[in-house]
This record gives sequence, structure tokens and C-alpha cells, in this order.
Amino acid sequence: MNQENMQEEKSFWEKLLAIDRRIIFLFIIVAIALPLFFKVSMRIPVTPVAEGTYQAIENLPAGSKVLASFDYDPGSMPELQPMAEAFFRHAFRNDLKVVIMGLWPQGPLQANIALEEVFQDEDVKAKNLQYGVDYVNLGFTAGNEVVIDRMGHSFEESYPRDGQGTPLSEIPLMRGVRNYDNVDLIFNLSAGYPGTQEWVQYAVDVFHVKLAAGNTAVQAPAMYPYVQTGQLSGVLGGMKGGAEYETLLGIPGRAVRYMFSQAIAHAVICLFIIIGNLAFFSMRKRRAS
Amino acid sequence: MSGEVVGVWIGAILTLGIFSFLYKDNPFYKFSEALFVGVSAGYWFVVTFWQYFLPKLIDNLALAYTVLAVEGRIDYHWVYILGGGLGILMLLRLFPSVGWLSRWSLAFIVGTTAGLQFTRYLESNGIIQVKGTILPLIVGGDLNTTIGNIVIVVGTFCGLIYFFFSKEHRGAFGGAARIGVWFLMITFGALFGYTVMSRMSLLIGRMDYLFSNWLHLIG
Amino acid sequence: MRIKRLFGIGFLPVFLVLCIFLFLQSDFCPAQEVGEVDILEESSTPPPAAPTDVKAVDTPNDNGHSITVTWTLSVDDGAGLGNVVSYEVLRSDAPDGEFEVRGLAPAGEESFEDKGAKEKGDANYLPAGVDFYYKVRAKGDGLFSDSEVSAPAHAYGQWYHTGKTPVVVAVLAFSTFALVFITLARKGKKLYIRPLAGIEAVDEAIGRATEMGKPILYILGLGSADMIATIASFTILSRVAKKVADYQTQILIPCNDPINMAVAQETVRAAYLEAGRPDQYKEENIYYLTSMQFAYVAGVNGIMLREKPATNFYLGKFYAESLLLAETGSLAGSIQISGTDEIAQIPFFVAATDYTLIGEELYAASAYLGKEPILLGTLKGQDWGKAVVMIALILGALAATFNFQFFLNLFRIQL
Repeated sequence: MNQENMQEEKSFWEKLLAIDRRIIFLFIIVAIALPLFFKVSMRIPVTPVAEGTYQAIENLPAGSKVLASFDYDPGSMPELQPMAEAFFRHAFRNDLKVVIMGLWPQGPLQANIALEEVFQDEDVKAKNLQYGVDYVNLGFTAGNEVVIDRMGHSFEESYPRDGQGTPLSEIPLMRGVRNYDNVDLIFNLSAGYPGTQEWVQYAVDVFHVKLAAGNTAVQAPAMYPYVQTGQLSGVLGGMKGGAEYETLLGIPGRAVRYMFSQAIAHAVICLFIIIGNLAFFSMRKRRAS
Repeated sequence: MSGEVVGVWIGAILTLGIFSFLYKDNPFYKFSEALFVGVSAGYWFVVTFWQYFLPKLIDNLALAYTVLAVEGRIDYHWVYILGGGLGILMLLRLFPSVGWLSRWSLAFIVGTTAGLQFTRYLESNGIIQVKGTILPLIVGGDLNTTIGNIVIVVGTFCGLIYFFFSKEHRGAFGGAARIGVWFLMITFGALFGYTVMSRMSLLIGRMDYLFSNWLHLIG
Repeated sequence: MRIKRLFGIGFLPVFLVLCIFLFLQSDFCPAQEVGEVDILEESSTPPPAAPTDVKAVDTPNDNGHSITVTWTLSVDDGAGLGNVVSYEVLRSDAPDGEFEVRGLAPAGEESFEDKGAKEKGDANYLPAGVDFYYKVRAKGDGLFSDSEVSAPAHAYGQWYHTGKTPVVVAVLAFSTFALVFITLARKGKKLYIRPLAGIEAVDEAIGRATEMGKPILYILGLGSADMIATIASFTILSRVAKKVADYQTQILIPCNDPINMAVAQETVRAAYLEAGRPDQYKEENIYYLTSMQFAYVAGVNGIMLREKPATNFYLGKFYAESLLLAETGSLAGSIQISGTDEIAQIPFFVAATDYTLIGEELYAASAYLGKEPILLGTLKGQDWGKAVVMIALILGALAATFNFQFFLNLFRIQL
């Protein structure tokens, strides 16, 4: 290798490290956008933590009541909305009764959006579900973890009426539902605070109620210690968690469809990381020599 | 043209406006950013009024007053007047001569939250987690579990050493802290990967919105 | 040149191979098959033998509206005739009165908790202090046998939940450590805290901003004023503001929360007063932007690109916006010091900022810089608490390895 080549290689690695970030943005956008045009389904291996969430709901007998807390906003829709739709499909398929609530103002609205989507399914339409009998949306109430704590004593204290203004005593589904003793499972979709951690601290550890959750990928790892200790039955992590849930249900939806884009994007990022590290170490070696 | 179509177009144009920042800062981005900041401030004002102030303060006090007027008894909902009072004290910040009164409200918030969270964090995030980390270091006939348990115990112990501030990291103590840093960095790497996945997911959602909802190029 | 060409030629096929490989991963996990339903055949065996030794006691560690019933299994449960399917628990307020069914327990189960509501108007109300009598019915093949009626039992609440004793011990221990060290700190005893790299960089960063004649941007994070990370950030802000006042550098603090803005204004004003420059304090530099997460980020990014601060501080509670802020700050050429206790965001700060205070180091930094006895004392108290936990971990791991149940039971919390 002669002196000229070494000069070229040195400037090549330097150029590579100093590459305009807009080129990297372009690669990422293409890596994500292009696969969306191909209807490719990937094989989704299921992790034990996601299986835990699925089994917690699957093991409930028909007629069980699930308190579903929607604690996220439109900013986290791509990750959590597929989970919400899959949850409703799962619950209605197994004839579970769903009590919807939210600790974030937009949460119950996200639940309604998911319900609208799920109600278009033929098998859900065939069940002829009725508001107030098979599901109810209590809406949002302010107070964060204080609401969770209060609901352990009385739902009515935090939610005297549902989201439509109907007193709880007039809703057939809510008759006999006083507090957590009268629900069989809490299912929480969370994008931050207040969220799954608060449900674990104030509902599970105080009132001994079972909890399964879906989180954004950012905070899912922080929930793994709770799964290890049994405080949480399972946690779905991000869009991959949504894809795992859809796979377990046997009803592939948006999350499974998006996985191809996700995989390609990750592959491109890994490639750039490898290239960047090669460049970094190569430059360091040359400087040393 | 229906409202929904107009909404989708506005959403798409503003999305592209924010994305234009990836090329460079420009007036289109500045407009989108300013619109976003302004609308969100207004949105939060409306949400705060209708979802917090009105149901929690006004409705509760109205209920208490109705009970007093109709049944002649003092209902417990009058306690919300304390919350309202503390809120007014916060607003007194605007008047420098009595602004110091807002410290009472702050002290109340900080103190209540600390008291509420102290035992909860100690139990849920402390004792139960310590119990979960007390694992047998040797599990007969199960090499995977043995290695896993050793990793968890050593990692937790060395991580705690790193966050011990009363002793300088020297000698054996420093060695253990170094191992703790390695565990932390590996953990951060995994968290980084998870968060990158999250960001990519959000971008996929936006791309799907543009190509599917807006341009109808994807079925 | 050769390597460059090889690289250029090699990149495209590697990328294509990856795509094809992923394209081929296109089969689903098979849907779960529905199981078959077993049909029970009718039997002509005699009824199962009744359970014996039925006892009813107040459920311990509860609010006083629950009674626990225990019994010895029927001899036909898993043995003898083997025809016990379930146990039905019945209750009455008199030994010879009408019994009502309170619940079911499966075969093999030896206890049942009769949990009632505490509200008088509730259909399931179980009053405290009232005697109840129980009997247990063994059921199987459509036939059943009733046990003897139990002795009377009544429910009553407990003041102290014995299952939470480990929590009480931990609360007392941590509180004692903290109070002892706060007292020592107040008496003037020097409490050692090891130096932190991030802290040492603070003064250097402020000096850099002064030399360049550019402002300092201080971000308090997205937490509320009651969050520990935000409180720690205020303490560090106090120190930074004092230095800024001394050096006559500009500090900009766009806030996400109106209460944070109020506290920040007070903190900075006090710092300028302490530095003897109250006239140089500019309240308009500390302002409220918006409470919405990404709108706030968009606003701060705009400030970074327009004002081009020399130094950025990100200290407090951060969520998904952390990398957006750090990357834009890096683009603007600022030196960046960060610190948060949000585990998920620390990797981004480690990667994108120059110095990072990881988790509890943020609290240590506020104690180190603030030098307040309360902060120092609580930090030392926490260190002693950590020492106890570390010792417990080692002893516990050894106890678990050699199966010393006594030590393991010390950490059992009854939920």
C-alpha cells in the first residue's frame, strides 16, 4: 500500500464520518417508506413478557370484567393504537366486559377511535355489543395516582358519571362494580406519567389486583423488573409488542404490517453503526501509526 | 370537500413543514412550529379549564352549595375550597408584594407528593425489587438460570457500588464500580435500541399517514 | 482507492441481501387450535363425604369485612370415591337459620375468603362485629354433603398490617439515617461526597459562554415542581445563576410548566441579589412556552438555532424529547451538560451530550453544589441505606443458595 492510497483512505474515512446527516435521513426515510408499499408479513417470534399479557386476558372466563385504562395521547398512536385494537378484538372475542377509563385527557378518545375501527369487523358486529352492557367509557378524570388509589375504595368517587354524563348507578355494566374487588383484570396502555408504574404502585401493591400492560418501547424495559417480581403479568413493548399480540390472537393488523418497515430500518441503522465504528477505529489506528 | 379531507390535508402539510427542518431551518418549518406551539398552548388551556378546573373545583363546590341550600347540611365537598384557595395563592405570584404567599401552595404540593410517594416507592420499587434480586447463585442442573442469577446479583450489587457517593472509587471498590459502569452502559445500549425502535415506529406511523390517509397510495 | 471501490460495490449487495433475507421471513405463527370439549357422563355413585373440621376466623390484616373459612378435605377428594368436584361455602347469622351460598372453591382447596363490602347499602355488605356461622358443602355428580356448622366468627378490622412490617422497618431505617446525617450536617460536620465529572464541567461551561459572549440555555425538563429531579435542577440552577450573575452572562430559561417558571424566576432573582447585581436580572429571559411535550421541543429547538447558546444545561425530568433537544444543541455547536433520573433517556444524553449526570448523580450534584445540610444529610442517609441493601443482597443470595428460609422470609411482604 503506497503513500497516495493511505492519503485517499484517510480522507475517505474522514469524509464518511463527516457525511452530511441529510443523506442518512434520506436512507432512513427510504428504508421506512418503501417497504410500506409491499404487503409483506414477517414471522413474529413472541417473547415471554408479551405472552404474559396475552395469557392474562385469555385465561379470563366469559363475562369477566376488565378495567382498561388508556393513558396515552395521539403522539404515541403508532405504537399503542394497534395494541388497543387488538385488545378490544381479544376482549370481545372472549365475551369479556370492558370498562374504559383514562388518566390522560386524550386516552378515552383514543379508546373510542380503536372501538370505531374494531366495530367494523364482521365477527364483532355479529355480537351486537351494546354500550352500557358490554362496554362503557368512563372518560377522563384528573388526579393521576390519587385517582388510582381512590378507585381502590370506590369507582364512583372518581367517576360519578361516565363520559356521556350518565350516572354510574344507571349503567347496567357498572352495577355491582364498586372497586377493584369487582374487576378481574386491569389492562393499561401507557406512554408516560401517569401510567403502568403508578398502576403497579397504587393498584397492584395496595389492592392486590392483577395488571397486564402495553407500553411504548421507550418505557417497556423499565417495566421488566415488575414482570420479574410478578407485580405485572406481562408487558407489550412498542410496535413489536403490538405485532406479537396480533400474532398470538391470530388477527394480523397494522403492527404486523409495519414490522417489515421496522426491520429494514433497523437493518439500515445497524449497517450505519458498523460503518461508523469501522471508520472511527480505522482513523484512530492510522493516527496512532 | 368534507371537513375530514381538509383536516387530512392540513395535517399532511404541517407534517411536511416539520419534516422540512431535516433539510434546514426555513420559514415553512418556523410557521409550522409556531402554529404547533400556539395551538398546543391554547389546547392545554381548554383542557385544563374543562377537564380540571370545571369538574374538580366548580362542580364540586356547586354540589356542596346545593346540598347546603336544599338539605341544610355541610357536605364534605366543601373541602375543595382549600384547593381553590391554594390555587389563588399561586396566582398571587403576579403581585410582587404578596407573591411570597405562593410558596405555601408549592410547599403543599411538594409535601403531599413526597408523603404519598415515599412508602409506595419504598415498597414497590425498593423492597419488592430487592426481594426479587435475592436469587440462588447456583441452581442445580440448570446452567442458564445459574448464569442469569449470577449476572442479576453481580450487576445489581456493582451498580449500587457505582452510585455510592460516600467513598471515592479506588482499589477494589473502584473495580466493582467499574463493573457497575459496564453493566449500566450495556443496559443503556439496550434502552437506546428500544428507543430507536420507538422513534422508527413513530416515523412509520407518519409515513403511513402521508401515503395512506393523504395520498391513498397504500390500501 | 481499492477499499473505497470495494466498499461502494460491497454496500449495495449487502443491503439487497438483507432485504431479500427479511422478505423471505414471511410465515406466521400458526393460530392456536381450539381444544375439544369433554362431555361429562352421568354417574350413579353415592354423594361425596362431607368435609370436616370447618373453622371460621376473621381474615387478618384487612379492613374488617371479611371472614376466612377453612376445612379438612373430604375423604372422597382425590381418594376414596374421588367424586368431589367443588366445595360450596354457605353462611347464616344463626346456627339453625337459613344458609346462603357465599362462594365456590375447587376440589383440593382447603380455604375460602368470604369478602364483603363495607358500605351498608351494598347488597354484599358484611358488617363487622356480627357473628356468622358457616358450613361447607362437598359437591360432585349432582349430589352433595354438608359439613357440621362452624363455631361463630365475626369480622373486625386491624389497625396494623403485619404483612407490611418490612416496609415499616425500611421507612424507619431510611428516615433515621437521613435525620441523623441532616443533624450532623447542621452541626457543621463535614460530609464527604466524591467528586463528579459533570459538576466540575459546570464552571468551565459557564466560563466558555462568557468568553464567547453567547447566552446559556437552561432547560428544567418536563417534570412538575414537585418532582425530585426538578427540585434538584432548581438547586443546580441557583448555583449556575449565581455564576452567571458574577460573569454577567445571559441565561435563557424557556419553561414547560408555569409553576416551574415561577420558581425559576425566584431562584434566578435571588441568585442575582446574592451576587450583588439585582438590576441585571431580566425576568423576560425566563418564560413559559407550552405544556405540550413536542410543541415545547419545537420551540426550544427554534431558540437553539436562532440564539446559538454556547452552553446548554438539560437537568431535570425528560421523556421522549431528550434526544431531539441534545441533537439540535449539538448541531448548534453548544457544549452540553445533562442529567436526568429517567432511565430511558439517559442513553441519549450519554451519546449526544458532553457530560451526563446519571440518575442519582443529579441529586448528588444538587447536594454537592447547594451544600445545604438537608440535601447533604439525605444523600448520606441514602448511601447508608444502599449499604444495607448491598449487604442484604449478598447475604440473601447466599441464603437463597443454601436455602436458609428464615432470612428469605424477612423480605416477604404480604400484599
